[in-house]
Amino acid sequence: MNKSTMHITLLGTGLLLAGILFLQSCAAPQPAPDLLAPTEAQMKIRSLQTRTFDLTDRKAAIRGVIASLQDLGFIIERANEGLGLVTAARFAEPNYYDVVTITVTVRQETTDKMSFRANAIYNNKPIEDPKVYQNFFAALQRALFLSQESTPSS
Amino acid sequence: MSADRSLSSRMSLRMLLPTVLAGAALLTACSPYEMRHDNQSDARTQIWLSEESQVKIRAAQTRVFDTKDRRKLLQAIVMTLQDLNCKIDVLDEELGIVSAKKYVDLEQPTFFDPSYVLYRPDTLLFLTRTYRAWGPFYHRSDLVRLTITVRDRNESQLLVRASAQFYLRAVEDPVPYQQFFRTLEQAVFLEGHTVE
Repeated sequence: MNKSTMHITLLGTGLLLAGILFLQSCAAPQPAPDLLAPTEAQMKIRSLQTRTFDLTDRKAAIRGVIASLQDLGFIIERANEGLGLVTAARFAEPNYYDVVTITVTVRQETTDKMSFRANAIYNNKPIEDPKVYQNFFAALQRALFLSQESTPSS
Repeated sequence: MSADRSLSSRMSLRMLLPTVLAGAALLTACSPYEMRHDNQSDARTQIWLSEESQVKIRAAQTRVFDTKDRRKLLQAIVMTLQDLNCKIDVLDEELGIVSAKKYVDLEQPTFFDPSYVLYRPDTLLFLTRTYRAWGPFYHRSDLVRLTITVRDRNESQLLVRASAQFYLRAVEDPVPYQQFFRTLEQAVFLEGHTVE
């Protein structure tokens, strides 16, 4: 290989590389096929997020959710009685610029069983620590003034 | 030996040029966030933003369910959105609208970008006062938004339509919608049919 062909090859490689980089970093990201599909991790924590209590009064259940969220320092953003949905948010310790938002749904499982599902999101990431949900359900149980044991639903 | 060394140093000098070129292209032309977005200079480009056929998109976004239980379907939709780690923003039973959002990490500030110096990276979009103005765009493109509507189709069927937004654009690929409806079908224990 003589000097000039090597030079051309090197230059060509450089331009190609620059071109590839140019194209790559300028293209908008495309939605992944599983954008609207639940992830494996989510399916795992789903049971931790769900708890069933022996309750018959749906309104009392929603009021209990709101009261427990207030106990935990949340500000209620929306509450829908008909669909049994409560969303709330609060700033998180220690700097109070992180945000924790929580969505709680109440669903009548049978006539005397009420199922609660809570989803907490820290800034933009879902909270997957089971302890957080245990704490929430402990607060909820206190708010509902229940003496009986609650069982995690499967 | 010394001739060899001078040759190799000249070689590495030549190798430097393409590297610098590539680096410059990456830094100057491509790292700005704005380069990855269409510049919608007039209303026409916005109207024609959707490339796919509207009929095709609508068919992909819509499913018919053989139930009249609106509330049950809406509850199933909310449950599905919880499965997707979404936060419910709008919920109206009467109108049959559910809107939700979630964040997907897409934009990462790779280099120092002076236009972001005014914004703290650890605050979220909705906390800044310039929410709808020039602001922390990383979070704006990270936002995935969803609207699901439920309406009556006939005396025995309900029609569910989902539309999603990803990276500031409407999602036109049918696959994410298929995945969404698959999850919804599992939640509602019913099979959704496509509209003929």
